[in-house]
Amino acid sequence: MAQLMASSTDHSTEHQDLGTTSSDKLFLAFLVIVVAAVTWLGVVNYQEALKVEQAKSNGEAWVEWLTEAGTTRHEADTKLTACKGGTKPPADAKADTPGTWGVCLAHILANTELKDQINAFFNKAPHFVAACDPKDRTLMGAILLEDLMPTPPGSATPFVASQLLETDGIDYKMQLRLSVCDKGGYAIKVAEFEF
Amino acid sequence: MQTQTKQDKFLEDLDVKAILGQDVEANIDRNLPMRKWLYSWLLDPNIPGNFQKDLDKWISYLIIFNLFSLMFEHVPAVYEPYRVWFEMFDIFSVAVFTIEYGLRFYLAPEDEEFKNRKNARLGFVTSPFAIIDFLAVAPFYLQAFIPIDLRVLRFLRLLRIMKLFRVLIPAIAEFKELNKGRTFRQKVHALVFPSNYGGTMQHIFEVFIGVWVILSVLAVILESVKGINYILHLQFVILDAVAVAIFTVEYCMRMYACVEEPGYKGAFLGRFRQAKNPSTFIDFLAILPFFLEVFLHHLIDLRFLRVFRLARLLKLTRGSDATAVLVKVVVREWPVMGAATFIMMLLLVLTASLGYLFEYDAQPEKFENIPTSIYWAVITLASVGYGDISPVTPMGRAMTSVLALMGIGIFAIPAALLASAFSDELVKERDLLKAKLFGILKDGHISDAEAAIIRAEAKRLHLTVEEVNKLIEVVVKEHELEERNPLPIHKIAENPALAVEHYKVLLGQIRQLGVQVDAAQFDQAAQQGERLTANEFALWQKIQGKS
Repeated sequence: MAQLMASSTDHSTEHQDLGTTSSDKLFLAFLVIVVAAVTWLGVVNYQEALKVEQAKSNGEAWVEWLTEAGTTRHEADTKLTACKGGTKPPADAKADTPGTWGVCLAHILANTELKDQINAFFNKAPHFVAACDPKDRTLMGAILLEDLMPTPPGSATPFVASQLLETDGIDYKMQLRLSVCDKGGYAIKVAEFEF
Repeated sequence: MQTQTKQDKFLEDLDVKAILGQDVEANIDRNLPMRKWLYSWLLDPNIPGNFQKDLDKWISYLIIFNLFSLMFEHVPAVYEPYRVWFEMFDIFSVAVFTIEYGLRFYLAPEDEEFKNRKNARLGFVTSPFAIIDFLAVAPFYLQAFIPIDLRVLRFLRLLRIMKLFRVLIPAIAEFKELNKGRTFRQKVHALVFPSNYGGTMQHIFEVFIGVWVILSVLAVILESVKGINYILHLQFVILDAVAVAIFTVEYCMRMYACVEEPGYKGAFLGRFRQAKNPSTFIDFLAILPFFLEVFLHHLIDLRFLRVFRLARLLKLTRGSDATAVLVKVVVREWPVMGAATFIMMLLLVLTASLGYLFEYDAQPEKFENIPTSIYWAVITLASVGYGDISPVTPMGRAMTSVLALMGIGIFAIPAALLASAFSDELVKERDLLKAKLFGILKDGHISDAEAAIIRAEAKRLHLTVEEVNKLIEVVVKEHELEERNPLPIHKIAENPALAVEHYKVLLGQIRQLGVQVDAAQFDQAAQQGERLTANEFALWQKIQGKS
């Protein structure tokens, strides 16, 4: 190391030692190691970014399915009976009460390709959360599904967002927002759509 | 009739524009044969003022844009909606590159490299540069006849970047020549630090780093736009890793070669001094967030770390002489600025305390305590006045009126100090250049090396052709005076003993003047229209022994 850090004793241009000295070689080796280390860290970062991409594509698949379901679920002869619109659940509905999001979710997780999704951060199925939180890293890759309730005209905000709970009714045409939590615990909005 | 002195002749022949390398008109004979004429204007690297450098520059830009285009073609969300624009740009690029290739092919017999060959154009076609140029456009034409896989096509288009070698190779050759007989570390130093050995290569290195700084800062800014980050997140991650790799290598090179810099001698001490240097510290800050993100992402807020990467923008200040002058000025004026800041702070605390005293009873929620009143005091004294907190009591309002007026003056002091110090510094720098010019013009002519010094200084001080011309005129006139009176002031100033003698001579001359002039008329003339200040007049009287 001392050799690597060896200083020039002569600052003039008339050096006699013109080839690469051992300190130069050590520096070059150090440089190669640094580049290799940064490349490796870059690859690590890239792999982490791929996990975020995976979370986004999970979210996109949910948006695609829900949007498509949203176009047919209000029809009388819809095949999506679990997610069918128009059936208002009672106020004290449970997660398995027909007309609630819980029933629809159970159907999706049992019968559609969405059941095979993997949260790449933890190698298990992504779960639904109430909010993304930078302080809670267990939420990485989780899905945040919110119901956007329009506010009365003249309000400061056009809508109020609240998590779509399993006991919530889905009998009406809903405006939803789906986000996923990134590596830093922040929400990435995937889409706003009608369901 | 006035006779023309040699200085007048020198000034008449002087071409400052040529010295500063501005608007040099190419001296190309209009009667040359068409091919030779075209070559001289477009491709001859030895004719200053022709379009060769501009052509190379614009072709280089086009190559870089091609690289970006190729990168974005891999992002379907960007490529698909703008496919037509991407294709149009590709056609445009190929058209430009084809015209360039055709031009070089046609003009090859005029090129020094090929003109002596049996078949100059064949020599051109088989030269490495021409092969690269050909490969840059060939796939485009080839795909019209043979179906080529898109990925292969894109890879072949990547070869266009090799066209940059047309600019790089001569720069490398020049760098090698300049650094012949120098050690490896000295070569590294020549590449990363400005010196006489860097040449074009050092300039290219600085531009390269500058481009990456701008790219990475742009990436950080665009990352904050959710819509863009959603589409280009992976690309941003790759770009950041590449930028950090480049900046880390640059940092290591600077730390390794810094001992070649004057004032940084010593393996450890020199490098430690270099590490403490603000610009090197900024280099360190530029790469730090990347490593923190990798190792401490679970401890530190990632959004904060990502925004922290904007510190890279400070890297650009390395090349800015104006920033260096500003830093110098701030350091020089620090004691005065400190005093002004102290008065500001005093006034701030006083205002906040009085605000609390007068307003607490009326608005306890807004003027809750002195620390919360400080916010109101700052906003009032700085003349910002958001209006979210305002006094309502008569005493509070009266005090605010007075303090707001005081604030204008107090807050203006540091700005005025800085402005005047900055202006002083510039005058000082110009005086230094004047002193340099004095030495340069001593022999009555400006050599190429001296012209390079003038060019560099004019660029550093942002002087126009007219300003340099004026400075040279002044210096030439001073030389003329020197010839009559062998010692100019700055020469006398170099020797304190001589300066004392000169001072005595000047005093003697003033006394002589006092003896010979009509004292009453002098006093009247001096006080008329305030020709002399009170101090100047008092000094005059003191020298004459009247007070």
